Amino acid sequence: MKRKHRLTICLLILLVIIPVFISGCWDSIELNKLSIISGLGWDIDADTGQLTLTFQSIIPSEIKSAAGSSGDVGQKRGDPLHTIQLDSSTGSSAYDALNRYSQQSSRRTFYQHTQLYVFGHSAAEKGIYPLLDSIARNPVNRPNVLMAVAEKKASDTLSVEAGMENIQAIGMAAQIKLSAEYSKFPVVTYLEFAQRLLSETTAPLAPMVGIIEQTGPEGDRVQKTRISATAVFKGDKMIGQLNEDESRGLLWAINKIKKGFLVIPGANLEIVSAKSKIVPELQDDKIMITIAIDEESNLLEYDGHQEISSDLLQDLEKGQAREIESQVMAAVEKSRALNADVFGFGEAVHRKYKKEWRDLKARWDEIYPYIEIVVKVKTQVNEIGEINRSLN
Amino acid sequence: MPGFLFKKLHFKKILNHEQKKSAGQYSSSVSLSQNLEENLRVLREALGSSSDVIIRDMKISSDSNIDAAVVYIDGLVDRALLNHDILRPLMFNLQLIKDNLSHNHKSLIDYIKSSVLTVGQITVVQDIDRVIARVLTGHTAILAEGATRALLIDAKGWETRRIEEPKNELSIRGSKESFTETLRTNTALLRRKIRDPRLTFESLQIGERSKTDVSIAYVQGITPDNLIEEIKQRLQRIDTDIILDVSYLEQFIEDSPSSLFPTVGSSERPDVVAARILEGRAAILVDGSPMALTVPFLFIEGFQNPDDYYARPFFAALVRWVRLLGYLLSIYLPGIFVSLKTFHPELFPTQLLVSVAAAREGLPLPVVLEALLMLLLFEILREAGLRMPRSLGQAVSIVGALVIGQAAVSAGLVGAPMVIVIATTAIASFLVILFAEPGALYRFIMTLAGGLLGLFGIVLVSIEMLSHLASLRSLGVAYLSPVTPLNIRGLRDTFIRAPLWAMDSRPASLDSPNTRRQSSGQMPRPPKTSSQQGDTQ
Repeated sequence: MKRKHRLTICLLILLVIIPVFISGCWDSIELNKLSIISGLGWDIDADTGQLTLTFQSIIPSEIKSAAGSSGDVGQKRGDPLHTIQLDSSTGSSAYDALNRYSQQSSRRTFYQHTQLYVFGHSAAEKGIYPLLDSIARNPVNRPNVLMAVAEKKASDTLSVEAGMENIQAIGMAAQIKLSAEYSKFPVVTYLEFAQRLLSETTAPLAPMVGIIEQTGPEGDRVQKTRISATAVFKGDKMIGQLNEDESRGLLWAINKIKKGFLVIPGANLEIVSAKSKIVPELQDDKIMITIAIDEESNLLEYDGHQEISSDLLQDLEKGQAREIESQVMAAVEKSRALNADVFGFGEAVHRKYKKEWRDLKARWDEIYPYIEIVVKVKTQVNEIGEINRSLN
Repeated sequence: MPGFLFKKLHFKKILNHEQKKSAGQYSSSVSLSQNLEENLRVLREALGSSSDVIIRDMKISSDSNIDAAVVYIDGLVDRALLNHDILRPLMFNLQLIKDNLSHNHKSLIDYIKSSVLTVGQITVVQDIDRVIARVLTGHTAILAEGATRALLIDAKGWETRRIEEPKNELSIRGSKESFTETLRTNTALLRRKIRDPRLTFESLQIGERSKTDVSIAYVQGITPDNLIEEIKQRLQRIDTDIILDVSYLEQFIEDSPSSLFPTVGSSERPDVVAARILEGRAAILVDGSPMALTVPFLFIEGFQNPDDYYARPFFAALVRWVRLLGYLLSIYLPGIFVSLKTFHPELFPTQLLVSVAAAREGLPLPVVLEALLMLLLFEILREAGLRMPRSLGQAVSIVGALVIGQAAVSAGLVGAPMVIVIATTAIASFLVILFAEPGALYRFIMTLAGGLLGLFGIVLVSIEMLSHLASLRSLGVAYLSPVTPLNIRGLRDTFIRAPLWAMDSRPASLDSPNTRRQSSGQMPRPPKTSSQQGDTQ
């Protein structure tokens, strides 16, 4: 009796222990069997419709030599792309291309550390929904990967020399983040893009990355990436772009201004803090939207000859308000022309007028260009710096 | 599983015990006879023909011709004392003895005890067994013709080690003395710290053949009575040949013999043991062991160090956190590193992953094996460093440092990050010496679990470890108290070390009948009157 009891306990313990080890190492991977993908690019050939997937993967051993003995660094200088490897494969769809990639790769791809998705211009214009779907379905893809649209081809953008960063895609992601920090262009993660896409009216955005050429230290031509505009999507298709001023105007309206410079005639100011609010108003089927912006800044540079006085500060504040308003209105005009709700006015109306929205939603494309928009700017100059008068 | 094994072992033990009993050692208790020759014959029989047993015949009174004998073991007896205070008075005070004996023949033994011998501790026994047992512990026996009682004189004296600085539990500001192998010295060290008349040393002998003296030290009224009873019961249950060290006792009396964690504390420092006794614990001292056991033992005691109390509380709290963190690191670091590398590379920050991956390029072994190999290498080095003759120690450290630190990496056998991880772990494992053993075992288990199952495995082992720790008890006190079960007042000496003037009560989990340690409100502050004077000046 007692022996039987013991046997049962033994069996139970084994039953608990064995499955733990059976589940075992099925998903274990050694780091040296992985190809860490730092950036992914999609290009669609406009003529054939074939999709080209570009993988930018990290070559860890090269990074080791760069970080290790200093002798190696000198040798590697001439080689512009020594820390990354670019592979591309072409297919009819995203997974078709990926499937073909396995024929030319020695390591398993590892997407968890991908920094950046770059969509080629033609791919963005043709519609990126199938690509987004292929990303979203796979749990290895992280929602905080940054989105970018290439001015031309994604593969070219990903092959530009890394510059200061040892991995090009990390550098490009840092570039986009810095441009957002200085309130130039929006930084858009994959998740934010998808959220805007899922909303019925709001237009998705993504920063655009172009390539510029500069003369390098040894007289050679060096390519660099540069954020040039904000791509505006309607649905999953890119329909236009906002230039620098319009992008700033957009950021003012959607409360994404962090810091940065504001250039007005005769003076240059540094934005210290900014807040904005979109207030919709519905009157007899007519929509009026107020964009209220509250900004504070410091004076960085003053070109005039006047002594700084409270009158002058008021002038500066007014000038600032005018500049901000004109930037916002530029963005508004462009968005009207594109008929793309980049500001999320639709969502604002939806939040405030839930009943009426059902009716408005269907006609939003017709309504949007004719919405009356009022920009109210309140500005304040806080500090004028260490000197009172202009030096000249 | 282990339970069955233990039961089997226990069964065998009982069998052994029976055999031993039947074999017997020397004849059962016999009273001393009037005949000295007879007594000496029994003694010779019992003690054998050992060359260190000295039986000195003599006559203590030439007139009445009383034969007597002094029995002792050479080497255990202070010869100067023996010659000067025992043999000399017996032989030179002949006349006195003779005068006295004419009054009362029977009290020869009493007379010698009360008037002749000039030594401190003398007992009178009637049992020849007692005589044999005491002689073996270093007493000197005096037997006389016609007396059915014998005198046992404590004239012990043998070579002992001096009180030295503690070797294992170092302290910067604390006292620099540690226990020695002599029980009396150790009790004296404690007595010097606690001059309370209620400090009690209860003695017993354990070990069928070694007859080792064991002392339970406690302060009446502070250590709970039931604790003393329990300790005595557990000690009396022990039936073994020999007690060589206090750790023999530990293994016989601990609550959870199958646990990796010790449930009996030990210390070589009299100040630590004195502090623990006054917290409501009891200490067990064993002759021949320079360590003292203290029970009950709580998990947090492993992280307490005498210097915590000698340093000011702020730094003590920091050091205690460092110790806790270091211990966790020493258990978890290799396991987590291995599991991140093999299962969850996404959890590394990107740049760290890149450099870790860079170090991993071209290494022949899987990460788990790499980690286990390095851990094993460290254990080998540690053990070698410990056991190696001192003169060879330097060779080990040089070879070890070169092999582990430099050559393994440059030969491309092990990655540099792994060396850093193992080295950090190795150093951290020395922070909490009391738990170094379970720490090393759990380190291996964690590494294996992390390598086989990833973080899932680490969480599994952690749950096992925590629930096991929470289930442990030491002499009826929960091992993790005062954290679980929570005792807010007790927390003053866990994650922080409250100032001494704020620790008014003894730890509540120890259930001391006298909870107050000191009066409250002793925070030092300037006296009111003097501050007013300061204002007027």
